[in-house]
Amino acid sequence: MREASAPQFSIHNCYSISVECLGLRNSQRADCEECEVSTTIEPAALTGDSRLHAWYSSGATITQFLLPILAVATGAFLVAMPIFGTLLRGFMITDADPAAFTASNYVRLFTDPTAGTAAFNTVLAGICVMLFSCIIGCSLAWVVGRTNVPFRKVFGILNLVPFFFSPYVGAMSWLYILAPNGGILQKLSKTYLGHEIPFINIYNVGGVIWVLSLFYAPYIYLFVIGPIRNMDGALEDAGRVHGASFWYTFRHITLPMLLPSILSGMLIVLVTSAGLFDVPLSIAEPHGIKMIPTEIYRASQYPSDFGRAAVLGTIMMLITILISLAQQNYIRGRRFYTVTGKGYRPRPIELGRFGRMLALSTELIFILMSSVLPLSALVMVSLSPIWTGTFRPSFVTLQNYNYVLFHYRITQSAIFNSAYLATVGASISLALGCLQAYFIRRRTSWISHIVEPILSLPLGIPGIIIGLGFLILLIGTPLYATIWIMIVATVAHFFPIALRSIAATLLSLNPELEECARSSGANWFQMMRYILIPLLRPALAATWLLLFVILIRELGASLLLYNQGTETVSVVLVLLSEQNFGYVAALAVTQVVVLITAFFLMQRNGISFLEN
Amino acid sequence: MQTPGQYAALLLAANLFPLISAAAQDAPAVQQATGVERARIQELIKVATQEGELDYLDTVIQPETNDTLAAAFRQRYGLPANFKVNYTLLTPGNLITRLEQEIRSKRLTADVAAVGSPVWVAEEARQRAIMAYDSPEYANYSKSFQLGLGNKGYFAFNGAYIFVAMWNTENLKFKGTSWRDVVGAVPPGRFSYGDCSKSDSALGTYMGLRKVLDKGFFESLAKLKPIFLYKSELFASRLVTGEDLMTGMGLPGRAYQANQKGATLEFLVPSEGVVLIPQSLFILQGAPHPASSKLWLDFILSDEGQQIIVEREAMISGRDGFKSPLPKYAPSIGNLNAVAMNWNLISMDDLQSARGECSAIFHP
Repeated sequence: MREASAPQFSIHNCYSISVECLGLRNSQRADCEECEVSTTIEPAALTGDSRLHAWYSSGATITQFLLPILAVATGAFLVAMPIFGTLLRGFMITDADPAAFTASNYVRLFTDPTAGTAAFNTVLAGICVMLFSCIIGCSLAWVVGRTNVPFRKVFGILNLVPFFFSPYVGAMSWLYILAPNGGILQKLSKTYLGHEIPFINIYNVGGVIWVLSLFYAPYIYLFVIGPIRNMDGALEDAGRVHGASFWYTFRHITLPMLLPSILSGMLIVLVTSAGLFDVPLSIAEPHGIKMIPTEIYRASQYPSDFGRAAVLGTIMMLITILISLAQQNYIRGRRFYTVTGKGYRPRPIELGRFGRMLALSTELIFILMSSVLPLSALVMVSLSPIWTGTFRPSFVTLQNYNYVLFHYRITQSAIFNSAYLATVGASISLALGCLQAYFIRRRTSWISHIVEPILSLPLGIPGIIIGLGFLILLIGTPLYATIWIMIVATVAHFFPIALRSIAATLLSLNPELEECARSSGANWFQMMRYILIPLLRPALAATWLLLFVILIRELGASLLLYNQGTETVSVVLVLLSEQNFGYVAALAVTQVVVLITAFFLMQRNGISFLEN
Repeated sequence: MQTPGQYAALLLAANLFPLISAAAQDAPAVQQATGVERARIQELIKVATQEGELDYLDTVIQPETNDTLAAAFRQRYGLPANFKVNYTLLTPGNLITRLEQEIRSKRLTADVAAVGSPVWVAEEARQRAIMAYDSPEYANYSKSFQLGLGNKGYFAFNGAYIFVAMWNTENLKFKGTSWRDVVGAVPPGRFSYGDCSKSDSALGTYMGLRKVLDKGFFESLAKLKPIFLYKSELFASRLVTGEDLMTGMGLPGRAYQANQKGATLEFLVPSEGVVLIPQSLFILQGAPHPASSKLWLDFILSDEGQQIIVEREAMISGRDGFKSPLPKYAPSIGNLNAVAMNWNLISMDDLQSARGECSAIFHP
């Protein structure tokens, strides 16, 4: 009989050991007697089946064993559903009675020249957005993380403001500014310069690239800022001591060390920006510029052609999955350490006067372009009774806010729906991701090596395709027309963020801390409650916050799956854009202000996804 | 034996019942009706009160107008203040997509819908997806039914609209009188138009205009490199900002609404005639709130409902003898030079064929 041993278990000791040990660097850890003791209690090098056996024999019950496996199975099911639905529908003709399997949807698509144009535009936009947002994001991260430019802390936060804009709102605000004839900039030019500026025109692929690059730069920034801050400056110093120039050091030392983070960020930006449909929908589509995500959306609307939508979705999905797998393969094959065992203190690079001016200008221009101008345009439009392209202070009114917030029935339910979807979706994703990460990181068998890339696949699938897949599969079920179909789709899309985030944190926690608890008599739940979850708490809070913000802004899947009474704020923004610019601007300003306020409040309370 | 609580409940019900019935009897709609119709309305009101809400989808009526309609509806039938009319304004494509999904999955959330796609609605009626309902108000739409603008027993139109050339007088001085004058009035890229490959309203207008204009005219329009939009509000707002100089899909109602806020939009009623697109109003078979839906349809088609719609949306009423309060923006049908279009004689195949022709011109 297994000993209950609760009375003998002193969880406090293990927890205090774990926290103290975590606070020490590797070089100092040898001095910690208790850490050494904890590692001698149970060997930490168990692998594969022996670890599993040890796990069982150390008191894990069936439930404890099943929970992580159940989470992995749920994740695999969520990944498979939209892929299966989209694949299946691509090979079906439902007009026939009974529905028949055929390759005609593929034949039609491959013989349609507009599909090729759409694919070219999508690839072009995706690659350009990836490159530009990478240049912007890395520059910002370097300025904030490595230089002595003034106000770095403030810039560190302001750089993330565009993250709180829904890309659709960003596109609308830039339409107000850069429309070739009725835009604010063009009108100002006509008024003050007496002529139009001929090259201003947002209605092309370049406009899509411009908006997406600005709004995706913070993604790269988030990926790079941590490693850039933790980078050992001694490596760069060594280069310079040996006569390397600034650019040589940058190309041969700094850049290679940051490459995994940059690559991860770039590929995420590539697949998500190429799959985003709301920006092309507002900027490119009215001017006849075709892109795959807008083609998918249109094909799913009346007169609908779900076969075409599914084939487009399948092709896009395959490309993005291949890119994701290639990226994972590339990262797995390499080891780049930015944090070494040797003691060091990351220190800023002392820029000269010109360098500081340049760095400061980079920051100010980015904040102006990504936050100040779009937000100002939205505020001006929201305060105008009718938008004429020019702000008229004498006509300022709050009627758009009054209508949208207090008299438009759908707004109030949409705010509730968005909050509900984001809260429940983020919580479920976090719970799933946490258990899956535990399964992957605490079991080093071949299964865990396969599981991680499979469960990460949805990150590479555009939201609109995930929405389409769930729509095809669940339309005849009780889930259809409820908020739960949207929750299922968004969880399926975003749970890998939680998985990857928690898995990365678990990687930095030595299993000996958990083993210490188990050897002291704690059962699995006690170990989770008193050791692992407290240690993971900052990462859990940060990941939940990140998911919450992403789900609040989510549009791709929601726009296909919403129904009467289940509209979210993002959906309402699209609905309002078909009524009145002022209404859209008023709701967008409200959404951005609420999200930024929540972000600052959480930041003040120590919850931030900046450092995660 | 009954408990004191049950006695109290019975007493309350006994006191409330006459009050509720009196309220229903006092409703203006009940007062105006007699005989069988009076009993029918009373029964519908009773059930509608229990249903408590109604889900309505439309592609034209602005939510503010719907609020006015809902308030008048509650008053007309003596419905309680908490009776909700859940309204959603959608593009025609979105609305039909939504309904097709709900109909095919047999998961209806919408009760009543109105969309300017009479051929699609007639097809759905044939497929028994639309509730057969012989509204007493149909008696006031006999001329519309004769013109093929509705389908008696299934749907009438709650207001029709026309798409015409429209411009902002601040940006363009246009004096044309014919559709042909539009070509050459603005440079390429400054003209917006409806996408007939996706919008049934745009397609219907194309089909009607093809009766009075040759294919070459549309090819000339295509050379203007139109910007394709899907909502009448967007056509108007882009004229207001000066983004576009002219649209070929201007809705006079939108000009009326924008001009009330200080815009200066003008439109052309062309000499070739206009195509009347009837906004077909119908109840879905299996609607979750059938009694409320019937009352709503009766109300929208009533003189009171039509007055609100025409005054607020400048739509064209199909009600016999209706006098428009806005003759410039919403002329009476009798005063319109409308292209003859019997929608009941057009099939889905005809629609597909026209869509193919139009798409080949505008999306070669």
